[in-house]
Amino acid sequence: MMISGLGPHGERAAPPERVTLLPDDRAAAKAAGWRIAVVLHTLESDWARQQLSGMVGIFGDCGAAVIDVVDCAFSPELQVAELDRLVTLRPDAIISLPVANEQVAAAHRRVSEAGIKLVLLDNAPTGLLPGKDYIALVSADNFGLGKIAAEGLSPHIPNDAEVGILGFGADFFATNQREIAFTKWLQLNRPDIKPRVRRFARIEEAASTADVLFSDHPGLGGLFVVWDTPALAAAVRLTERKAIFPMATVDLGEAAAIALARGDTLCCIAAQQPLLQGIAAAQTVVLCLLGRPVPAWIALPGIVVTRGNVVETFQAVWRQPAPREVLRLLGLS
Amino acid sequence: MPLTGPDLIESPRPRGKGRPRTVETAAPSLVELLNLVRTGAASTRQELERQSEFGRAVVADRLTMLGDLGLVDESELGTATGGRAPRLVRFAARRAAILVATLDQTAIGVGVADLSGNLLTEHHEAADLTAPPGDLTDRLSALFRWSMDRHAPHGGIWGISLSVPGAVQGTTEGDFLTTTPPVLPAWEGFPLVETLTRHFGVPVWMRSSVETMAMGELHAGAGIGMRNMLFIKVGRRIGAGIVCDGQLHRGAQGAAGLIGSLPVTSGGRDGTLDALAGSDMIQRKGRSAAEDGRSPMLADILRRSGEITAIEVSQAAQMGDAVSAAILSESGHLIGQVVATLANALNPELIVLSGSIVQTNDILLAALREAVYGASHPFVTRDLRIIRSQMGSSAGLVGAARVASESLFASVFLKEWVMQGSPLLHPAFVSLQDRLSAEAAPPPPMTAHTGKELTP
Repeated sequence: MMISGLGPHGERAAPPERVTLLPDDRAAAKAAGWRIAVVLHTLESDWARQQLSGMVGIFGDCGAAVIDVVDCAFSPELQVAELDRLVTLRPDAIISLPVANEQVAAAHRRVSEAGIKLVLLDNAPTGLLPGKDYIALVSADNFGLGKIAAEGLSPHIPNDAEVGILGFGADFFATNQREIAFTKWLQLNRPDIKPRVRRFARIEEAASTADVLFSDHPGLGGLFVVWDTPALAAAVRLTERKAIFPMATVDLGEAAAIALARGDTLCCIAAQQPLLQGIAAAQTVVLCLLGRPVPAWIALPGIVVTRGNVVETFQAVWRQPAPREVLRLLGLS
Repeated sequence: MPLTGPDLIESPRPRGKGRPRTVETAAPSLVELLNLVRTGAASTRQELERQSEFGRAVVADRLTMLGDLGLVDESELGTATGGRAPRLVRFAARRAAILVATLDQTAIGVGVADLSGNLLTEHHEAADLTAPPGDLTDRLSALFRWSMDRHAPHGGIWGISLSVPGAVQGTTEGDFLTTTPPVLPAWEGFPLVETLTRHFGVPVWMRSSVETMAMGELHAGAGIGMRNMLFIKVGRRIGAGIVCDGQLHRGAQGAAGLIGSLPVTSGGRDGTLDALAGSDMIQRKGRSAAEDGRSPMLADILRRSGEITAIEVSQAAQMGDAVSAAILSESGHLIGQVVATLANALNPELIVLSGSIVQTNDILLAALREAVYGASHPFVTRDLRIIRSQMGSSAGLVGAARVASESLFASVFLKEWVMQGSPLLHPAFVSLQDRLSAEAAPPPPMTAHTGKELTP
């Protein structure tokens, strides 16, 4: 599938196949015995767990020890402190998902200035450059994910309706791209739809922000939320208020898959491939530690998920059976 | 916010004959002191007194004015060197913001920068520059509004700076544009500058993409600290940004570095460098290799998508496709021969290559290096580094931000607005706005409806 977005500096995407490891690479990596640290925004989501699982597996294959896995709990302050702590441990490389923009840029720059290879996930703070301040960014095609969500939601929206967009308040490459792509697709293909945007600063505020959005625009005909966890929180709150309308989101978490199978509000999910993304990130680390050139931006395409294909896409994305509840709701067990 | 402090109110006491009013003398000293602070040449009152040779009272008075205008900040303390810690004088770069954009043949980029020209955020997306200019201007405006909604400071926006794919004629250093210069044939007659000035109420600057990218690379990329640098952009057109003695050389008409127009010979054919080595030629050769089956990899891409782009040829070369690699190598050699001539004439310490084709493969860079090293005097190449830009399209945004920042604070321009506290009150800009509002507004572009909310 084509990658429709551009990288944080306008880069063209390189496919994950570009960082495939050859047997010689694995053998050389095993001989080196590297130490790697991983810094994620959270460890509480299915997406984060799968991504970590992809990385750890590859590092295991390559004889590299994962010496620390940090849960930043979406806190820029905590991420800065943890990166500074990790620098003192002198790992060979750090894989980090920057949880903010300007607030965490300098701490990430300090990692590379200390001679530690830095591979970023999903977000590159403004001003940091590939090859200078970090090795590469590995992310989903977030622009493509926003387009998939808009395309999937559109048939369920009546003419001239208002559609809510619940965005993320933090300045974050991935969620910015999804929001921009979603509205761009609507403006080009459904100019009758009026977008109504609100942004939540913290994930705990997603439900209350959805509340405000609905109060300000009681005639909403649909809703897009930039990822699944806040989407489900918003759905619960809106259902309590008897505000039932079609929704689309990004990430095929277990709860989102069940909601999609239930078919009451969620009608489309644009799925990332976190396991493959984790694998690509780890392979990028291995190649750069071996001194091989790697692309500045490696992107994985998104996948369209509807009630009709949720079982097979869940299996493809997570490499495990779909939740029993999904199978039950679809009459498959 | 016009100044109304006691120093600017005319004293009831009769002035001596020929003695200028404070309001007349304040502007030059404000300009000088602000620029000393802004460029980092001075960061304490003592340093300002020493460098400007103004007395302590004048410096104190002008800093109070600049503080009231929100242009300097003295809230931070420096390091003490024996006595009391000095109060640091900082330029308030976040007083307002600059909107920046790059319009490329295949992509559009937007960003928000502070008044020092540092990018606060950026976004890039694919675009087709051959689309109707009204549609592209609408998209640009929508992305600007989205960026402002998320990043503009309370002080608002003080300027828009554009990077465009062609030489911008008729611009004088520092001056904002009052009409749209001819840049692209497809944009002929479209009032881009007037439209943006009307929509956003700020002055607009414009430079060629190779100029802005060279400036961006010089100030924020591999060129930091360099005095002599060549910046080569490879795309449909091939251009050079020339930095001599730390300054971008624009030439008499702003057209320096148009190396794509130089004649070259390749495979018995004569033509310009643009025509024989640019992305159109790479695309054409790639398509031909796909159609006649010489490249199975390109043939597969053509079968799946129905077309071959120069980027795909470039990516195929990187993945090991021999035919694509030969196409890129030939382009690199041709460009290298021309760049070698420039290098021998200018003796740069660094040559930076940029453009999507260069960024997606190593072969063009390798071929260009070979050609430059092979055709240059040994002294020229002794310490010469030839590298690929790491900034991508960000270089254009950073450079565009520097163009606006340097223009806003150029002494000649600044002295006309500093007393008013905002460049939007500069007499020339006020008169442009008067002219634009007197003229009939252009008909609305025929594009998609956009809601009232600030959505991209």
